[in-house]
Amino acid sequence: MKTTLKNECKKLCRTVIAGLCISGSLLTSSLQAAELGYPEKEELKFGFIKLTDMAPIAIAYEKGFFEDEGLYVTIESQANWKVLLDGVIDGRLDGAHMLAGQPIAATIGYGTKAEIITPFSMDLNGNAITVSNEIWKQMKVNIPKQADGRPVHPIKADALKPVVEKYLDEGKPFNMGMVFPVSTHNYELRYWLAAGDIHPGFYAPHKGDTSGKIDAQVLLSVTPPPQMPATMEAGTIYGYCVGEPWNQQAVFKGIGVPVVTDYEIWKNNPEKVFGITKAFAEKYPNTTIRLTRALIRAAKWLDDNNNANRPEAVKILSQSNYVGADYDVIANSMTGTFEYEKGDVRSVPDFNVFFRYNATYPYYSDAIWYLTQMRRWGQISDDMPDSWYKAIAAKVYRPDIYMAAAQSLVDDKILSKSDFSDLVGEDGFRAPQKHFIDNIVYDGTEPNAYINKFKIGLKAGEKL
Amino acid sequence: MTAVISKKALGIAPMSNNKMIMSFISEKVQALILPMAGIFCFMLLWSLTASSIDTSLGKFPGPHAVATQVVNLIDEHNAERDKADVFYIRQDERNKVRMAKDPSYQPKVRIYTGKETFLDQILTSLVTVISGFLVAAVIAIPLGIAIGLSKTLNTAINPIIQIFKPVSPLAWLPIVTMVVSALYVSPDPMFAKSFITSLITVTLCSLWPMVINTSFGVVSMNQDWVNVSKVLSLPKHVHIQKIVLPASIPAIFTGMRMSLGIAWMVLIAAEMLSQSPGLGKFVWDEFQNGSSQSLSRIMTAVLTIGLIGYLLDRTMLQLQRILSWDKSSAQL
Amino acid sequence: MSIILDISKVDMVFPTPKGDFTALKGVDLQIKKGEFISLIGHSGCGKSTVLNIVACLHRATLGGVLLNNKEVTEPGPERAVVFQNHSLLPWLTAYQNIELAVKQVFKNKMSPAEMKEWIEHNLRLVHMDHAKDKRPDEISGGMKQRIGIARALAMKPEVLLMDEPFGALDALTRAHMQDSLMEIQQKLNNTVIMITHDVDEAVLLSDRIVMMTNGPAATIGEILDVNLPHPRNRLALAEDVEYNRLRSAVLTFLYEKQRKVEVIPTAESTKTTEKAGIKQNTSSVA
Repeated sequence: MKTTLKNECKKLCRTVIAGLCISGSLLTSSLQAAELGYPEKEELKFGFIKLTDMAPIAIAYEKGFFEDEGLYVTIESQANWKVLLDGVIDGRLDGAHMLAGQPIAATIGYGTKAEIITPFSMDLNGNAITVSNEIWKQMKVNIPKQADGRPVHPIKADALKPVVEKYLDEGKPFNMGMVFPVSTHNYELRYWLAAGDIHPGFYAPHKGDTSGKIDAQVLLSVTPPPQMPATMEAGTIYGYCVGEPWNQQAVFKGIGVPVVTDYEIWKNNPEKVFGITKAFAEKYPNTTIRLTRALIRAAKWLDDNNNANRPEAVKILSQSNYVGADYDVIANSMTGTFEYEKGDVRSVPDFNVFFRYNATYPYYSDAIWYLTQMRRWGQISDDMPDSWYKAIAAKVYRPDIYMAAAQSLVDDKILSKSDFSDLVGEDGFRAPQKHFIDNIVYDGTEPNAYINKFKIGLKAGEKL
Repeated sequence: MTAVISKKALGIAPMSNNKMIMSFISEKVQALILPMAGIFCFMLLWSLTASSIDTSLGKFPGPHAVATQVVNLIDEHNAERDKADVFYIRQDERNKVRMAKDPSYQPKVRIYTGKETFLDQILTSLVTVISGFLVAAVIAIPLGIAIGLSKTLNTAINPIIQIFKPVSPLAWLPIVTMVVSALYVSPDPMFAKSFITSLITVTLCSLWPMVINTSFGVVSMNQDWVNVSKVLSLPKHVHIQKIVLPASIPAIFTGMRMSLGIAWMVLIAAEMLSQSPGLGKFVWDEFQNGSSQSLSRIMTAVLTIGLIGYLLDRTMLQLQRILSWDKSSAQL
Repeated sequence: MSIILDISKVDMVFPTPKGDFTALKGVDLQIKKGEFISLIGHSGCGKSTVLNIVACLHRATLGGVLLNNKEVTEPGPERAVVFQNHSLLPWLTAYQNIELAVKQVFKNKMSPAEMKEWIEHNLRLVHMDHAKDKRPDEISGGMKQRIGIARALAMKPEVLLMDEPFGALDALTRAHMQDSLMEIQQKLNNTVIMITHDVDEAVLLSDRIVMMTNGPAATIGEILDVNLPHPRNRLALAEDVEYNRLRSAVLTFLYEKQRKVEVIPTAESTKTTEKAGIKQNTSSVA
């Protein structure tokens, strides 16, 4: 068992290195690649969850980018992340807008086991944590004020801690919602809570405990994104972490207050990815590259000219078959602003990033960050060597496909070389990242060392 | 005889012409004006209460909001059809370009990939409910007849029916979904998996009332007719075809009307739960969208669902009137 | 004339939750070809059971029935039954009801044209050709029974079994039907077993009247030969001495020898009792 794992690791490491070499060599030598063939599979069905970060799919469809690739795509909203993942695994869907953690968790066999890869990262940021009016009232007194009387940002969970303690003293469980056990939202909410010294609970899958409530001060449970506001309004949860427009919806409905965006928790954090099965990518290589091309173009369109196209995008997203929320609600976060407490509108130009900062490139280091959080909270029960983290990342994140798509877009003169200039020689690891709410630095090349830096969470060698 | 009638008619006609007109009018009043009055009162009550209920999605939709949405939804449908037309033109051009480049290419016309409009969803739900219902009928009627004819079979199967009958088909839905995705594998499926799943769910819930009513109809068949068949020494298949089946038609129809009503209700719920295309998905999507129009759109869908359910029942009733010999059982 | 039907020492025992119930005991009757037999007796005496055993809708516990010296074991069209409640199939027209029988009985023996002619012939026989396309719920009770008779006759039975065929009809219609039946019998000279409650009907129509004792363990009490000449006329017979003798013989049997315990009939209340009895019988048959 152990030796096979080791062998597997070695094999993967080789793949990674080979992959890195290929991606490094791309873009430097254009006009070499053979012309991209017609798609093997032309009729595709993609799934999504009603969130603004599905925008690249909607835009690629509405702007005809899919059709330009000879792809005839049907886009279908899904009930929840589980249904969506099962759809991709059982072939009902050809691909989908996924939580970054989903392909990773599926590949390591946490939850449903399946080999899912991602050639395209869909966006950066875009989530926020919202609490109910009642909780906000109690939190607000603990938050320092600016000169104009508005709360100082970012709001840390330190302000929530006394409230949680009060509830626990009264014997009331403090419930919060997130969208999926391996969702960005789960890890962000946990990160934010833990940074404020509130324990969000451990998982222990080897003992059959996947509820994630061991030692928890705040009990996190799964609610599909669009139902978050209604669930909070019903009093089942006191707050939640979710993507847009479901935080702005709470403001508009007057049922809650967003306290912190994920941009403030971790500046320019990777969010959704576009997931397909490995089998699909192998069976339909041209289709895979072509759909990646269409998505890259859509992402570029979304960020073009300093978000100039965003109002049009919002209009498309507000159609009932996409996100379907009111134009104003979606526009609130998509057009560079974010409304916290009613009337407290602040400029957050990078709240939704679709193309800037290499947002679409699937970085290995992003995948590794999710793995570190899975390990931190016990979803990965055992210690794993750094090489394992890298190997898994290389298995799931496929910059080689991304670069092939980018290269052919440049070759076809659809996009220019300068659009990808930062990616020349990219090795898949971002430089150590500093902008976390707790100021802990993340270096993707040293996952175990990173895990050991947290006050709350499992550390190397620990097992529940 | 004829003389008596004509005399009667002659004698009474001049006197009661007015009376007859009056009674005709009063019948019309009862059949037409009373329901109208009922609807009017309902509308009034609805719009009055609607304006006083505030939800986080705005005011509860009144009749006016619903009327507006009906227009909107039809407009959206037309707009989508226009988009579809453009889509086909574009596709045609693309196919031509590719043919020019690659003469071996067999051009293929793909159906429009855009969104399903409200009217599309209505059609999808209708097709699903009718297909599922027909599948159920094909299974349930022969099964019901077999159970009704054979005491042995009845004793053997009855416990199974009694156990499965009270199970909400929605409880089956996850199992059906998994089984369909496991077994219904084909590279180019004729029907979508979601359609098959909804269809099976509808079939499952339509099955039991039809089986039970059919077997009841067979069991409670007039013994004299059975004796007639015995005296004629009718072979089994002729007996079933000429005696049993027609004799149980009224009971079969009772079961079918019951089933169709349940099936329609269950289908909407199943579509909501499994996100299969149809009116249920429309309602759920709108609920999830949470836009300012969502409630009035949901209300429109609710009324549409009710209206279609009513029309389905009336259609079955008409069918029963045409097909069944027992006109007295074909009442509302 | 030869014996066509031999009801041979028939016993009928019905198992009930309270133990066996002996309905018939030693019923023994031989019927000649072309004979018209009436079975008369109080309700519940087992007349219908006898008929059902002949039709094989019931199987005798002991003894059996021979038709042309062959034992009958299952129902068949050669022993056609006219049921008390006409038993027409309500989803078929008069014509189709008869057609169902004709098609079954003469499957390979008649061409479609012959069948059509035969059906129409039988409809004419019962004077119902004008209503051939009517469904049972569109015609009166008497008309329905005419169709029922036509259906039975259309099977060309060896023995025609009639289970209180006119029991459910009003007196006037019943008289019409009896006249029609006599007219048909005059033409066809069928072998008939008819169950009846009606003393006048029995005397008017029969060659022999078989009177049954009261149950349980009912059996044949007396057999009365009716030697009135054919054709018979009900008005002429009303004054006839022999007719009245036969009539009072049957009445004596029914109301003195086999008097039912619960009713002591006066002349006036006889009819009402009979009617009540018929009703009771109707419900028990159904």
